[in-house]
Amino acid sequence: MPRPSSPRLLLLLPTTTYRTAAFVEAARRLGVALTVASDEPSTFESSQPAGLLTLDFAHLDRAVEQAAVFAREHPIAGVVGVDDDTAVLAAVIVERLGARELKGNPVTAALAARDKHRQRVLLAEHGVPAPAFELHALEEDPAGLAHRVRYPCVLKPLRLSASRGVMRADDGAGFVSAFGRLKAILKQPDVAACGEPARHFLVEDFVPGVEVALEGLVADGCLRVLALFDKPDPLDGPFFEETIYVTPSRLPERAERAIAACAQAAVTALGIREGPVHAELRHNDRGAWLIELAARPIGGRCGAVLRFETREGGNAKRETLSLEEVVIRHALGMPLTALEREQRAAGVMMIPVPGTGGGVLREVRGVAEARAVPLVEDVAITAHRGQTLVPWPEGSRYPGFIFARGETPEAVEAALRMAHRRLQFVTG
Amino acid sequence: MNPDEIRITAEPIDTARCKFLVSQPLHTAGVRRFSSPEEAKGSPLAEAIFAIPGAAVAELIVSGNLITVVKGSATPWPAVGKSIGAAIRSALASGAPPIAPKPAAAVADDDTLYDRVAGLFDSEVNPMVARHGGRVELIDVQDAVVMLRMGGGCQGCGMADVTLRQGIEAMLQQHVPEVKGVVDITDHSAGTDPYFAAAKK
Repeated sequence: MPRPSSPRLLLLLPTTTYRTAAFVEAARRLGVALTVASDEPSTFESSQPAGLLTLDFAHLDRAVEQAAVFAREHPIAGVVGVDDDTAVLAAVIVERLGARELKGNPVTAALAARDKHRQRVLLAEHGVPAPAFELHALEEDPAGLAHRVRYPCVLKPLRLSASRGVMRADDGAGFVSAFGRLKAILKQPDVAACGEPARHFLVEDFVPGVEVALEGLVADGCLRVLALFDKPDPLDGPFFEETIYVTPSRLPERAERAIAACAQAAVTALGIREGPVHAELRHNDRGAWLIELAARPIGGRCGAVLRFETREGGNAKRETLSLEEVVIRHALGMPLTALEREQRAAGVMMIPVPGTGGGVLREVRGVAEARAVPLVEDVAITAHRGQTLVPWPEGSRYPGFIFARGETPEAVEAALRMAHRRLQFVTG
Repeated sequence: MNPDEIRITAEPIDTARCKFLVSQPLHTAGVRRFSSPEEAKGSPLAEAIFAIPGAAVAELIVSGNLITVVKGSATPWPAVGKSIGAAIRSALASGAPPIAPKPAAAVADDDTLYDRVAGLFDSEVNPMVARHGGRVELIDVQDAVVMLRMGGGCQGCGMADVTLRQGIEAMLQQHVPEVKGVVDITDHSAGTDPYFAAAKK
C-alpha cells in the first residue's frame, strides 16, 4: 500500500490493452500512489475517485481538462501512456499541467511518433535512413497508382498498430489487390473513427534485410538501448505478422552500433525527449534503416520477457526490475543508474493466428505440453473461447504468447518453436 | 497409498503462480494459506514445498484437491513442478495429514474478518461488478489475507487487475483495514466472456 506521501502516477490505460496487470503490479511494487485513467468508466470509480478516472481518450481537449480538474485535487508526479494514442494524451497532459515538473515529450514529438507519414517527413528532413515514401488517398485510382509506384513496395496505413493493414506488392496486380484490402480495412468503423488518417495511406519502398526491434528509454533526448531483439523469421511479406523476438541480438557488434545510432537519429528527428521508445529497424549491406519508431514501450505482453538489474548509489545489492517498473521510475524521476538487462537470453513468440482463414476459437490443445518444453517459462493464451481469430492483414490480435529464457538466443528460439509445435488451435 | 496412483496436473497462471490439481484431497477443512516457512511448520507438504532449493517459494494456498504455489525465482515451472509433484506424492504416501488445521485463534480472527468481507462483497463489491456482468466470490480469509475468485465479465477481462487493485482492494482498505492483502486465484485464461477483451496495443 502506498504511503500518503508517495508520488502519484497517472497511468493511461485503454480498456483493450494487454498491459494492465504488468503496469498495475509494477506500480504496487514501487509503492507509488496510482490513478488508472481509462476510456471507459470502472464500476468502482465513484467509490475510489483518487484511484480511478475516466478520460475521453477520443477527444484530447476534453481529456486534458478532465485530467487537469483531477490533478487540482490529487497532484500528479508523472504520467505514463502505454500505447500510441495514450502516449499523445500523456504528452498533452504533461504540457497542460506543467512540463517543467513532469517528464514528458513535446506534443509534436508524440504526434509524429504516432503518425507514420509525419514521422517519415521528419526522418527525411533530418537525413535518417528510412524507406522512400509517398502519401496517397483512398479515393485515388488504384490502377493508375499501380503504374506509377516502384516495386517491390509496401502499402501501410498511417495509424494502425501490430502491422495491421501492412502489405507488400511486387507488381501492378498485387498492388491493386492490396489496395482493395487496405481500403476495406480503413473503412471498418473502428478504424474510420480516427478520421483523416484513415483516408490516406503510405506507399513506401520495401527495404530488404534483417529486421530487429529496439527497446529503449530516452532521457533528456538521449537514447539508452534497453534491449535489441532479433526477429529470426523473415519479414518479407506479403503480410507482416510478427512471430519471434529474441534478445540479445546475434548481429555483429558493428551492425548493432549502426542500429542504435539510427534509432538515436530518429529520436532526435522526431523531437522525443523523455520516456520509452520501441523501434523497428532493418539492417542490410547499406546500413541501418528506421522502419518505425513509437514513443511507448513494446506492445502486447512482450514486455514480460525483459528483466533488468540496477544497483543504486553504490549499493552492492542488485534489484531486479520489470520493463514497466523502469518506465514508471523514469516518469516519476526515480533513480535508474547502472541499469542493465539480465545476462540470460530471452524470447517471446507472438503466436500466429492458425490456418489461413482464422475462425472462431473452440479449444486450445497442448498447452501443458508446450509449457513442459525446457526453457519455456510460460504459455499465455490470451484469446478466449468463442473469440473470432482474424489473420493478418485484417487482424491484429495474437491468440497468445510463449515466453522462454535460457543461456543462448539459439536455445531460446528453439524452445519457442518447439513449444509452438505442441499447440493446436481448434477453430470452427 | 501408492504414489504412482496420484495424478497431478500443473496449470501455470503466470511465471510466478501455478496451480496443481491433485487426484487426492490435500486439505478438506477449508482453505489454508502459508506465506513463509515458519507458518508452514506442522504441515509436512507445505514445509517440503518451501524447502525446494532454488524455487524461492513465497506463498502456498491449499484447498481440497488444489494447491496454488507462488514463487519468486526465475526457474521455469516445468523444473520447479517436478519437485512440487514429488513433495505432494511423498506427503500423501506418508499417510499423515499433509496440511495441519488452522490454529483456533487465527480461525476466530479470520472468521470475523470473513464475515465483514463477505458483507462488503454482498453489499458493495458485487453490485458494482455486476454492472459489467461480473461477480466476485470470496473463497476464504487466511491470516487476514482475502482470497477471491472472479467470474462472469471479470474473468479474463483486460481490466481485471484494475478492478482488483484499484477497486476491490482499495475498498477493503477503507472498510476492513485489518485486511493485509488480496489474492486473486482466478484462472483468467479460462474466461469466455470478458467485459473488455485485450488487443495488441
